Amino acid sequence: MRGEVIRRARGGIAALVLVGLVVAPWVVDDYTTSILARTLALALVGVSVALLTGVAGMPTLGQTAPYAAGAYACAVVGSRVSDVGVVQLVVAAAAGALLAALTVPLVVHARGVIVLMITLAIGELVVIVLGRWRSVTGGTDGLAGIPAVRPFWGFPALASDQARYLYALVVVATLIGVVLVLLRTRAGLVLRAGRDDETRLRASGHRVAVHLSGAHIAAGAIAGAAGSLLVVAQQYISPADFGFDTSALLLLGVVIGGTASVGGALVGAALVIAVRDWLFGVLPGHAPLVLGALFVATVYLLPTGVNRARGRLRPRDAPAHEPVAHDQATVAEAHR
Amino acid sequence: MPLTTPWRSRALTAALLAAVLTTSSACGDDAPGTSAGGSIKIGLLASLSGTYQAVGTEIRDGFQLYLDTHDGKLGGRQVDLIVADEGNGAQTAVPAATKLLKQDRVSALTGIVGGGSVAGVTPVLNETKVPLVGSNGRPELKDVSRVWHTSYLSDEPGAAIAQHVRDNVKGSVYAIGPDYQGGWDELRGFTDAFGKIGGKLANADGKTTFTPFPATTNFLPYFARIKASGAAAVYTFYAGSAAVDFVKQYAQSEIKDIPLYAAGFLTEGGVLNAQGEAARDIYSVLNYSPDLDNAENRAFVAAWKAKHDGSPTTYALASYDAAAVLDRAIGAAGSNPTPEAINTAIGQLGQIASPRGTWQFSTTTHSPVQKWYLRQVRQDGRALSNTVVGDLATVGR
Amino acid sequence: MIAVAAGTNRIDPYLIPALDGVAYGLLVFVAASGLVFCFGVANILNLAHGLLYAIGGYTAAALLDGGWASLGLALAVGVLAAAAAGVLLAGLLTPVAAGNHLSQALLTFGVALAGGSLLVAGFGPDNPQVRVPAALEGSVMVAGHRYAAYRLVFIVVAAVLALALYLVVRRTRAGMLVRAAVDDPEMVACLGVSPARIRAGVLAAAGALAGAAGVLGAPIIGPGTGTADTVLLLSLVVVVLGGLGSMAGTLLAALAIGEIQTLGVALLPSAAPFLLFAAMAAVLAVRARGLAGRWRPA
Repeated sequence: MRGEVIRRARGGIAALVLVGLVVAPWVVDDYTTSILARTLALALVGVSVALLTGVAGMPTLGQTAPYAAGAYACAVVGSRVSDVGVVQLVVAAAAGALLAALTVPLVVHARGVIVLMITLAIGELVVIVLGRWRSVTGGTDGLAGIPAVRPFWGFPALASDQARYLYALVVVATLIGVVLVLLRTRAGLVLRAGRDDETRLRASGHRVAVHLSGAHIAAGAIAGAAGSLLVVAQQYISPADFGFDTSALLLLGVVIGGTASVGGALVGAALVIAVRDWLFGVLPGHAPLVLGALFVATVYLLPTGVNRARGRLRPRDAPAHEPVAHDQATVAEAHR
Repeated sequence: MPLTTPWRSRALTAALLAAVLTTSSACGDDAPGTSAGGSIKIGLLASLSGTYQAVGTEIRDGFQLYLDTHDGKLGGRQVDLIVADEGNGAQTAVPAATKLLKQDRVSALTGIVGGGSVAGVTPVLNETKVPLVGSNGRPELKDVSRVWHTSYLSDEPGAAIAQHVRDNVKGSVYAIGPDYQGGWDELRGFTDAFGKIGGKLANADGKTTFTPFPATTNFLPYFARIKASGAAAVYTFYAGSAAVDFVKQYAQSEIKDIPLYAAGFLTEGGVLNAQGEAARDIYSVLNYSPDLDNAENRAFVAAWKAKHDGSPTTYALASYDAAAVLDRAIGAAGSNPTPEAINTAIGQLGQIASPRGTWQFSTTTHSPVQKWYLRQVRQDGRALSNTVVGDLATVGR
Repeated sequence: MIAVAAGTNRIDPYLIPALDGVAYGLLVFVAASGLVFCFGVANILNLAHGLLYAIGGYTAAALLDGGWASLGLALAVGVLAAAAAGVLLAGLLTPVAAGNHLSQALLTFGVALAGGSLLVAGFGPDNPQVRVPAALEGSVMVAGHRYAAYRLVFIVVAAVLALALYLVVRRTRAGMLVRAAVDDPEMVACLGVSPARIRAGVLAAAGALAGAAGVLGAPIIGPGTGTADTVLLLSLVVVVLGGLGSMAGTLLAALAIGEIQTLGVALLPSAAPFLLFAAMAAVLAVRARGLAGRWRPA
C-alpha cells in the first residue's frame, strides 16, 4: 500500500522535474541554460558511475576515462569529418565503449576499494595521455574552435544556448530511458544479484565476470556519449575537464543521490556539479570552503548518509550485514 | 526501476534542485553592461582558490589598485567590478566566465591565470562579442580579434635571454621544464633562439627534458642527469610550488655550482620568499622588476606597498596595465562604450606608458611589444629580491 | 660477464636517485602509516588524511627559525594539532556507520576541501618558507656525490620511527588491541573497549603520525595549496598497494613508490609521467586476479 503511494509520488515528481527541464530555457537566462546543458552532460556520466557503483558493485573513480575518450573522439570527428550530432554521438559512445573494453581485464576481477584505486589510476593515465598526445588532443591547453553541431542531416546548426540545451536534454532523456529498460531485463537482475551475493550467483552457474564486463562496456558507452554532449555544450575541451576532481565530485554526487538509483544519481551528480559551478561564480575564493561544508552537511541531512550501511565499499574480508533493501534482486529472482 | 533512496531523500533532492533553479534564474539580470548613470561593468576572472591562488590574488589586487588610485573609474565611468573564481582551470573557469558574460553582461573581461582557461573561455567571448584583456596566460589562438594580453607570449622570455646566455656561457646548456603547454612554449622559445645563434644543448638527445607536471616534487633524479651531461649552465622555467622545490633542491644538489638561468617566474613574488637563500644569484629574464627606475613604476610600487606586504610582481603589473588599457579604451569608445566599441578602441591605443616602460600591442598577436630585463636575485636590505642587472632584447611580433 | 660490463660508471649516476628514493619512500611511509590505521583498524576511508599532513607542514613553516629548539617545538605542536584534528574528525564521523565507506568518503572529502581552504586562508596562498636547523641546511658528500644533509638525517629518523611503529604495533597492549580489532572487531568490543574510543584513538594516532610526517617532511614535500592532495594520493596508493592494513606491506609499497618516483624516473625518463599509475594499476589488477582465482571453487 505504502509502496504504491511512494511509486505514484515518485512518478509525479519525475514528471514535474521533466516538465520543468523542458520549459527551463524559456524561463531562465542564457547563463543558467548553458550551465544546465553542461550539467546534463556531467549528470549522464554520473548515471554511468551509478551503474557501475550501485548496480554492478564496482565503485569507480575512472568514468572520466571513457567520458574523455568520447569527448575527444567527438571533437576530432566534429572538426574534421562531420557536424551531424547523431554521427558524433555514435562515434563518441563507441570510443567510450572501446576504452572501457580495453580496461576490462584490469577491473573485472577486482572488488571494492581495489576497483576504486585501479579506476583512479586509469583515469589519471588517460589524462596524462591527453595532455601529451598534442597532434590529436591539442595538449594541456585543449581543443577549441569545434564547429557547432547539427542534430541530424538537414537540420540547422545549434547556435543558441536554448538549442544546445534542448539537444542535450533529448539525448540524455533517450539514453536514460534505454538504461532503465535494460535494467529491467534479466541481465540487469543478474548484475544486481551478483553485487549482493556473488558467491551464490557463481555457485548457481552464472558467469559473473561476463556480466560485469558487459556492464563496464555499457557504462563506458554512456560516458562516451556524455562526452559528446560536453563538446556540444562547451565547444571546447581540455584534459582539465576529465581530472580527478571531476571523477571525485561525480562519485560523491552519485552517493548523495543514492548509488543504485538511476534517477537519484542523475539528480545527485547534477546538483553537485551545478552547485560547484554556481559557487565559483558567486563566491569567488570561498567556493571550496562552502562546497566542503555542504558535503559534510549532506552526510547528516541525507537519510542515506548516517547509520545505514549501504556503501558497497567494504574491505574484501568484512562480512556484509545489510538489511535487505527493496531493490535487491535475489539470486532466486534472477533465475526466473 | 530500483528504489533504494528513501522517499524523503528524493523529496529533498527535488526541492534542492528546484531551489537552485529558482535562485539562479532570480539572479538573472538583463541590465546591459553600461547604464544611464555612467557606470560600466567589468568582469575579472582569476584563480582565487586552488593551486594558482597566489597568482590569482596578485591579479585581482593589481586591477583593484588601479581602480583605487583612479577614483574607481575607468574612462570616466564608475566601474562595477564583478569578480569570479577561475579555480584550477578550464573546468571551473568556463562556467564562471559564462556567468560574467551572459548573466552579469560585463562590457569587458580581464584577468585569467591559465592558458587553458583562456582557450576555454574564447568560444563564449566570440558568442557574446565581448573583448578579453587578459593579464596572464595566453594559449595559441586561431582568432585573436577579441583577445588582448598585457602579459607576454610564453615563448618570449626564452627568446629574449638566448643571446645573453650564448655570450656568457662557455659550453653547452641543459634545458629542463615542466611537461605542459606553458612549459613547452617557454622552453621552445629559448631552445629555438639559442639554436639559431649556434648554441648547443647539453641534453642527451639534444631535446629539452620535460618533467611530469604537477606530479614532480623531487628533482634530484634530473639533477643527476644534468651532472652526467657535463652542462656549463642550466636554463629552466617553473612557477609556483614546482619553482620552490626546484630551486631549493638545486641549491643542495651536486650541480649547485652550475649557473642557473630561468624565465623570471622561477623567482617571482611569493616563491622567492619560500626559496630563501637557495635562490641567491639565480639569473632570470622578465618584462618587469620592481626596482625599474621610471616615474610610473615609482608611483606604482609606492601605491602597492601602501596596501600590501612586499613588492608587486609581474602578475600584479600586467593586471594593473590591463586596467590602464581599459581606462584609455573606454574613454576613447565614446558616449556609448559597447563591448564592440571598446574592442575597436583597444586596437587604436598606440603606445602605453607603464611601470615596465612604454609598450604597445602587436597588431598580429595582440600581445605586448616590450623590453625584457635581465635580473639577478641579490640582497636588498634584509630580504632577497630580483635586481635588474641589464636590458635584454625588445621582443614582440 | 654482465657484472663486469655494468661497472661503477654505469651505476654511479643512479646512486643518488636510489638513495633519495629511500628518503622519499620513508616519508611516504610515515605519512601513509596513519591512513593504514584508519583503514585497517577503524575501517574508515579518510580522505582528509592529506589535510592532517598539511597541518604539520604549515606548523613547521610557521615555527621553524633555523634552530634545533624550534624543530622540537614544531614537532610537538604539529603532532598535537594534527592529532587534535584527527579526534575532531572522529567526532564528526561518529554518526556515520562503520564500514559505510561512501558516506565516510563524502564527509571526509568535505572536511578536506573546507579545511584546506581554511589553512590557505590562515597561512596565505604562497608557499611558506621552511627553515631547517642551520647545521642541516647544506649538503654532504655521499660516495663522491653531493646530497642534502637534511634528507640524509631524515632517512635515519624516519627509519627509527618506522621501527618504533613496528614495535608498538607488535609488542604493546595498545598494538595488540589494534591488531585484534583488525582481525575480529566484535571480540574487541566484547573486551569492553568501546568502538567509539578505538575510533577516536586510531584517528588521533593517525593524525599524530601525519602531523609528524608533515613537520619532518616539510623540507621535502613542503606546505602549499596542493600538498594535501599530493600526500593523500600517495598515501592511498601506498595503503592499497601495501595490502590494506599490513605494516610490513605498507613499508614495502612506500619504498617501491619512492624508488619509482626517483630511480624509475632516472632510468626511464620518457616514461616518467606514467610510471606511478601504470605500476599501481598493473600490480592491483594482477593481485585482484590472483584473489579471484583463489575464491573460485576448485
